[in-house]
Amino acid sequence: MPPDHNLTDYVDPYENHRHGGPLRVGLGGPVGSGKTALAAALCRTLGAEYDLAVVTNDIYTTEDADFLRRNAVLPDDRIEAVQTGCCPHTAIRDDITANLDAVELLEARHPGLELVLVESGGDNLTASFSYGLVDVQIFVIDVAGGDKVPRKGGPGVTASDLLVVNKTDLAPMVGADLDVMRRDSATVRGDKPTLLISLREDPAATEVAEWVREQVRARALQTT
Amino acid sequence: MTAALLTLADSRLPAGGHTHSGGIEQAIAAGRVHDPSSLAAFLLRRLQTAGAVASGIAAAACGGADLAVLDAECDARTPSPALRAASRQQGRGLVRVGRRAWPSPVWDALPAAPHHPVALGVAAAAGGLAPRDAAAAAAYLSISGPATAAQRLLAMDPLTVAAVTARLSPEVDVVAEQSTSRATGSPADLPADTDPLLDLLAEVHTARRDRYFAS
Amino acid sequence: MITRVEVVARCGPGGRTVLPVVRASGQLAVRRTGPTSVHLVATAFGPLGGDDAEISLVVEEGARLTVHSVAAAVALPARDGEAASVQRVHATVAGHLTLAPEPTVVTARAHHRAELTAELADGATLDATEQVLLGRAGEEPGRWTGTTRVERAGCPLLHTTISLGPGAPAWLPPVAPRAYAATASIGATLPVATGQDAVRLPLDGGWSATAWGAELHRVVRALAALGGADEEVA
Repeated sequence: MPPDHNLTDYVDPYENHRHGGPLRVGLGGPVGSGKTALAAALCRTLGAEYDLAVVTNDIYTTEDADFLRRNAVLPDDRIEAVQTGCCPHTAIRDDITANLDAVELLEARHPGLELVLVESGGDNLTASFSYGLVDVQIFVIDVAGGDKVPRKGGPGVTASDLLVVNKTDLAPMVGADLDVMRRDSATVRGDKPTLLISLREDPAATEVAEWVREQVRARALQTT
Repeated sequence: MTAALLTLADSRLPAGGHTHSGGIEQAIAAGRVHDPSSLAAFLLRRLQTAGAVASGIAAAACGGADLAVLDAECDARTPSPALRAASRQQGRGLVRVGRRAWPSPVWDALPAAPHHPVALGVAAAAGGLAPRDAAAAAAYLSISGPATAAQRLLAMDPLTVAAVTARLSPEVDVVAEQSTSRATGSPADLPADTDPLLDLLAEVHTARRDRYFAS
Repeated sequence: MITRVEVVARCGPGGRTVLPVVRASGQLAVRRTGPTSVHLVATAFGPLGGDDAEISLVVEEGARLTVHSVAAAVALPARDGEAASVQRVHATVAGHLTLAPEPTVVTARAHHRAELTAELADGATLDATEQVLLGRAGEEPGRWTGTTRVERAGCPLLHTTISLGPGAPAWLPPVAPRAYAATASIGATLPVATGQDAVRLPLDGGWSATAWGAELHRVVRALAALGGADEEVA
């Protein structure tokens, strides 16, 4: 490096300097773990408290967006579906352009927006959101995938801000040991929280909603 | 040429290109592309039509031509609403990353969602590149994105797809050279080569609800 | 051979169109065939490669002009060399112009270039159709390159170059049509329409439609099936 160069010349000063605007929450996890059901639950529970919107990343169709519309969880103009070019994890991590476009479109359409949920397309355990796209991320797995999943780790399980283990009601039927899942999660995640829930038994996703409220409050403190 | 060209033409530059197939998703659905040779035919016709147009506009934008005029010329050469939207969407994505990568006052002359080739020319200028470099990037990008999309959709051997793309290099150079040579005069003289098949594919594609790609 | 055609349509007394200038030299003659229409008449074989024709049309405000031709133009190769035959139409329109010539047939080894540049004033209207067939029956296709540029008040509305025939960009088997037809229309906007090898696209205050295939009569039908073309021929 030439002696007259300063390393700050190479650093983009705008990085992580998004002031104001809604809290962006990523919802990731494998296919069928209940991401869309959780998104719908959060919309129902938090919709009256916050000005909120959702971005869906279906891999092929607009099925998830249609689900949210059909269930009238949100009006049409608060749901944006993006195509991910056969690569759902690229769209939330490596090249977040399409998702940023969708989030910015929603923010422009609803200037008072407080919360945006970005639901990823179902992918594998290595898929995680870029923090250029979301402020915090929730990774959703389910007990039906086996109680070994937390132990196997992967960035979604280990590094997400909240790990949700869904479908605890199925544990006896699939022979999954919830204590093992709780213990393994704590081991790989350190201090980061894990919630074991059943959306069938608690369609309001009470605990997850409360965690989201805390994040909204924390962000409000940070950016004011 | 400087190393900035390698960044600009890198398919991993996060400008949103990976969600666009350049019409090849619909070409595959219509049975037009199914193997390496039909892929090569598709890429060649795209390169020599949409690629030539993009290449000329990018070279002119890099060379300092009036950006609003070029944007209008790009509109006139892109009558398909689906292709216009795809181009502007990618232009917006490139501006987003380009402004951060190569800060420069030249970005301020652009509209919010310019046509992609216009944004590409500005990015090249901001990165210290010449019009011929901008033309090369535009020509190359006109085939690299669709090639990758075909690889994903058809589960083709990635080495085969890489070989097809690499072997089109001389044609990419010809398009870039010819487009650059037409980019110094009146914007009306820029290449306007059109493939109506691509327009048709784009319009049929955009009406579908079951698609992986934005275009 | 050099061919020059010039027609001026003007709004005369009582709002009727008059044609104060109707002249031609070279391979084309021009005949008045109605109050607002002229026909181009070929006076020689061709065009041949190397021939250059320029047709200048001016339609002043309030006037109407329709330009037909009496028969298909058969483009033939240059006697020596590979020069293309060229026909440039330059239209300056403040009233209404309809261009509806008979098809151009491009014979084996010939290359014909057709250019239409239309400069429209605000409020001017245009309907321009072209029909192309590559090769006569049982003959190898020739090569055709058509450029259309339409401007309104100095702003480009449409600028496309279509190349057909062996070696042309948009002419790679298996999609290598021998017949092609297109319309550019400025006046009323129409939305997107698609057909089998046919597409109509909206323009700002107009539309353009294109169809292609193996046989010209089917292509012309496909173009008409897209709609919007019925009011064209005056």
